[in-house]
Formats: sequence, structure tokens, C-alpha cells
Amino acid sequence: MGRHSSANESNLGVLEPTNPSLTTPPFTVKRKRVTLLSMPEHFQTALVLLAVWAVLVGATSLDKGYFLSGQTVIAVGFTMALVGVVAVAEALYGMSGARLDLAIPAELIFSAYVVTVLLAHRWNIFLVVVAALVAGGTWGLITGCIIVFGKVTPIIVTLATNLMGVAILEIAIKSEATMPVKSGLAQWGQGISGGLPNVFWVMAALVATSGFLLPRTRLGQHVIAVGGNPVAAKLRGVSLARTRFGVFIVSGVVVGLGGLLLAASVHSFVPADGSTYLLPGIAASLVAGVSLKGGTGNLWILFLSIGFLSTVPVSMSFFGLSDIWQQVPPGAILIVAVAIEGIRSRRAVR
Amino acid sequence: MTAASTEVPTQSEVTSRRVWSYARATSSVFQGAVGSILIAFIVVVVVGEVLVGRQFSSAGNLSIIATSTAVPLLLGTASSFALLSGVVDLSIGSNAGLSAGVFTLLTLQHWNSWLAAGIVLLMGAAVGLINAVVVVRLGANTIAATLGMLTLLGALLYVVVGPSGSVTHLVKGLYTFVNQPLGSVTVIFVIILGLLAAAVYVATRSRFGRHCKAVGGDETAARRAGISVQRVRTATFLLSGVGAAVGGLLYAGQQGGATDSLGANLPFQVYAALMIGGYSIIRGGIGNPVGGALGIFVVAGVTDIIALKAFNTYYTDVLVGLLLIIAVLIDRARGGEVFE
Repeated sequence: MGRHSSANESNLGVLEPTNPSLTTPPFTVKRKRVTLLSMPEHFQTALVLLAVWAVLVGATSLDKGYFLSGQTVIAVGFTMALVGVVAVAEALYGMSGARLDLAIPAELIFSAYVVTVLLAHRWNIFLVVVAALVAGGTWGLITGCIIVFGKVTPIIVTLATNLMGVAILEIAIKSEATMPVKSGLAQWGQGISGGLPNVFWVMAALVATSGFLLPRTRLGQHVIAVGGNPVAAKLRGVSLARTRFGVFIVSGVVVGLGGLLLAASVHSFVPADGSTYLLPGIAASLVAGVSLKGGTGNLWILFLSIGFLSTVPVSMSFFGLSDIWQQVPPGAILIVAVAIEGIRSRRAVR
Repeated sequence: MTAASTEVPTQSEVTSRRVWSYARATSSVFQGAVGSILIAFIVVVVVGEVLVGRQFSSAGNLSIIATSTAVPLLLGTASSFALLSGVVDLSIGSNAGLSAGVFTLLTLQHWNSWLAAGIVLLMGAAVGLINAVVVVRLGANTIAATLGMLTLLGALLYVVVGPSGSVTHLVKGLYTFVNQPLGSVTVIFVIILGLLAAAVYVATRSRFGRHCKAVGGDETAARRAGISVQRVRTATFLLSGVGAAVGGLLYAGQQGGATDSLGANLPFQVYAALMIGGYSIIRGGIGNPVGGALGIFVVAGVTDIIALKAFNTYYTDVLVGLLLIIAVLIDRARGGEVFE
């Protein structure tokens, strides 16, 4: 987390004395004012998100008093479970310098379709879960082969594989894929515990696990190094190809899990459904401070950005805006988030 | 005075020199990426003739292709300058859709159709300007920012269109104008081909085109040469915003209204076709409107063949995806961005 934002850390001691590991440099001449913009990026992002979120929740519950209850929260919880999974995959892509994975819609449906087909063949649920993850990983492996061996940019490759993937799935599925209603997976997937859908908790566990593992595993460190500066990483002996394959396979497995959750939580789906989650997922990843230039980002902040993004539609409906407005915020938030990221990365260059 | 005048070339020399330079410029248009897309285009035509037979080049089929490519061709031509200058405007799809929706809604409420069209064009320009501010002034990633704009405008279209999912209102003058036949194509299609020719001239011969190419090819070098990178890119965003709005008006004329998802997939189709035609969404400075147009015709030809042979229409997307990957590989072999 620290290595890539070292330019900001020299200021950190002045601004944030509570952090003992980063002390005031003795030669500091200019004492900058403590402003939000002079703090390290992850703190900024986390604080701003927390503040905005708190204001949103506060305003809504002052107005209505029963904010975190009811069917709306559960409905949003289902959507956000998938958005969160997509956000983790997009964050991995972004941090590794691969920018964006535009093929996630096709990937989600692919793994969800595998789940429905295998359940229809009465496979054991445990094997179905494994198969969904393997399906996602295989997709990631194929994407990785095209990108690494062809040395072509992921955005264009994933644009093409999404186009092809959705089309092939349309041909294969014909109309819509349905979940066997009586399967244990469907009953679990539509179930609720602790006021939120079961699938939401899986997403939360995924964010926590990946947030914990990223800075602590060799692959995670290589991802950050390669994303931040591929040339330097190569000179330090990091294999670019191996790291790329690692990222594509791991994020494929993550999306495979997303497909499993999608299949488990709906009665039926069509290939076009996958695209619902792409943009909010990208928005969640960028709002959480993952730079598209690679090398920066903290997966834990995804909790805040996902929470914030899930609250917006809930409070909108509480404030009486009709449902047709609910798709407006993600786009606007994404624009603001990338604008902020742009300003920041320009500041970092100067 | 007389000595100086002997060095001035005669009128015929000037003309012949000018003719030669135009000929060189025209032939250079067909080199490189345009050359390979031309081959692809010829292949599609030959395959069409062989597989489909006489129906492929029939007047009726040409008119279908002309109608279906009118809007993509217009949008592709307008937004190709953004690609040339090194930025991407993905919002063109929903921009066109929203323009069609707003125009239909306004005329439905008995607004003057010229006034409604003016408002729609201003909206398109405003969208282009916002894109420019966010991407050019604030330095946001162009793909992510305009993807956000695509969703935002798509969501607004959903609001404009309302719960029924579509608005319909036929503006008679526009309908007749857009569908006015000329031979086996339409007048509007010929006008768009004229715009394409103008775009080729601007991209290859004019100062603006050279500046776009310079800014897209090497931003730092262009800046050192005294070109305002921000101004050039702002202009290209404005152009693609207004172009999308005009495309929306065309949609409204062709279809007599708008649906809630109108244009959502258009940018991916248009940019896939432009990339097949030699543009790149990740590096500027390359591509030519002729290649872009051929790319759009190749995709339209493939779509048409698959429709005429009654294959599953989704095979089009599979082929377009494959063509896209091949095009990127060819571009990389020509010195495009190497991703490691």
C-alpha cells in the first residue's frame, strides 16, 4: 500500500501525526496546511467516501427514520453483491496496469450458464461451485493467452471477447437459462441472513479476503509492481507474462464466482443481463481510488465505495424519486470519480 | 522584376503540380491500414456475391445497407477525429439515442421541429464540451469518463422515454427528407458520403487534420511545436458530440421515435468497425476516414450476408470480434502499442 505513494508520504508526518510509522522529516522547511488534498490518496478516498456516505444515510434517515430496513435494501443487496464481485475483478485489472476488463458481462453469463447446465445434469453442488470457478479461470486463461502472446491491449481484446462471448452464449442459450428451482444452490442464493442476501455476504468475504491477500502474497506484490512500472518491475526480476497470467486467471476466477452468485440468486437470466453489472462495478473500483494507470489502489476501500453506491439508489427512492431515475447516479458518479483520479494523477506527475 | 517572374512557375505547371500532389495524397490514403481493410472489403463483396448470389448486389439490398449504415457512418466519421487526436468518445451511442428521444418528445409536445432540432444540437455540443472538460482539462481517463457519460445519457434517455419504453412521433418533413430515395440509396446517404469526402480532405489536407494527427501521434512533440493540445482535443470532442446529435435526429427521422435502449450498443459497433478500418482507441495519430468507412461497410456487409443466408444474426458479432482481434494484431505488427 505504501510503496507507490511515497511522494505523498514525505508530507504525511506533518499532516497525520497519529501514524507512528511515518514521522516528520527533520528537514521539512515548508509547513503545508493540513488539507484534505495534501493527505495520502487512500486516506482521502476513504474519508471522503465515509463523509459522503454518512451525510447520505444521515439525511435520508432524518427524513424518513426507517432507512436501513425493508425490501429496497434487500433488492439493492442482491445487485450490489454482483457489483462488488465485478469491482474486485476490475480493481485487479486496474492495479495491474491492464486498465479495464470489458468482457465481464460475457464472463459472468458464461459461468452462470455452466452452473445451470451442470445443475440440470444433477451434479453435486460442491462440484458445480468448483466448475463455476474453473469456468471463470479458463476464460481468464484464454484472455491471458491472447493478451500476453499477442501483446495487444486488454481493453480491445476484452471488447472483442465480450462481443464474441455474448454472441456465442446467445446462440447456445437460445432464449433464457433457467435455474432448477428445487436445487439447494438456488434456495441458498435467494436466501437472506442478517438482513442482507446470502450472496451479499459472499461478496463481502471476497472483498475482505482479496484486500487481505493482495499486499501479503507474492502475486499481489508483483501485480502492484508491474502495474506501477512494468519496466522497473522487469528489471527487478518480476516476470511480466507470469504476473499478467496470474491477474487474468485470478480475476477470471473472481468473475466465475460472480457468475455462480448470479445463477444462484435469480430464477432465470438472458445473456444481455451481464452488462447490468459492468459499469457499476467499474464505478465502484474507480470510486475506491483504483487508478487506471496501474499500481495504486486498496481493495478494502471497496467496502466504502460499494456501500456508498448501494445507498444512492435506496435514498433516491426514499426521497420519492421514481424508479426510472435510478440508473442516473452510477454514470454521473463514474464521471466524477475518473475526473478526480485524473486531477490526482496530474498532481502526482508534477 | 522580369528576372523574378521567370522563376515563378507558369499556370499549367502549378496546375499539374497540384494535380500530382492530390494524386499522391489520394494514393497514400490507400496505403497501410486502408490497404488491408480494402482487401477485407473486397473479400466481403466477393463472398457475398458467391454465397448470396445476385441478390447481394441488387438495388433492394444496397438500399438496406445504405439505410443501416447511414447513422454509424455519420457517427464514425464525426468521432474519428477524436480517435485521430488520441481521445475516445464512447458516449456517442447514448448521445444519439438521447437526441432522438428529446427531439421526439419535444415535437410530440408541439414544439417547432427546427427549434427542437436546434436544442438537440446544442445538447450534443454540451455533452461534447463536458467530455472535453473532464478528459482534456481535468485529465480523466478518456475511456472510463466517456463510458460514464454513455451510461448517464442512457439513463437520461430512459427517463425521457418514460415507463412505456418508447416515444413515437412522426415529424413529416424530417421523415420525408431522411427517407427520400435517390437511385437505390437515399439522399441522406449521399450527403453523408459527401461529408465523408469532406472529412477525408480535412483529415489529410487541412491544418486541423494535421494538428489532430500530431496531437494524437505525439502529444509532447505537438505541444513543443506550438499546437494547443487541449484546444484540438476539445474541438474533436465537440465534433463527435454534435455528430452524435445529428445522428440522433437521423434516427428520429428513420424510426419516427426512440426506444429506451436506442444507441446503447452503437459505440462498440462503431469503434470496432473503425478499429477494423485502421483507427485505434488507445493511440491517436493513425487512421483515415476512408478506412473507417470501409470498416463500417465490412461490418455491414458481414451483417447483411448473415441475414440474407438466414444464419443466426449473432454470428455477426463473433466475426466482428475476430476481425477486431486480427486488426489489432496487424496494427501491432505495423508498430502499434505493444502491451507487455
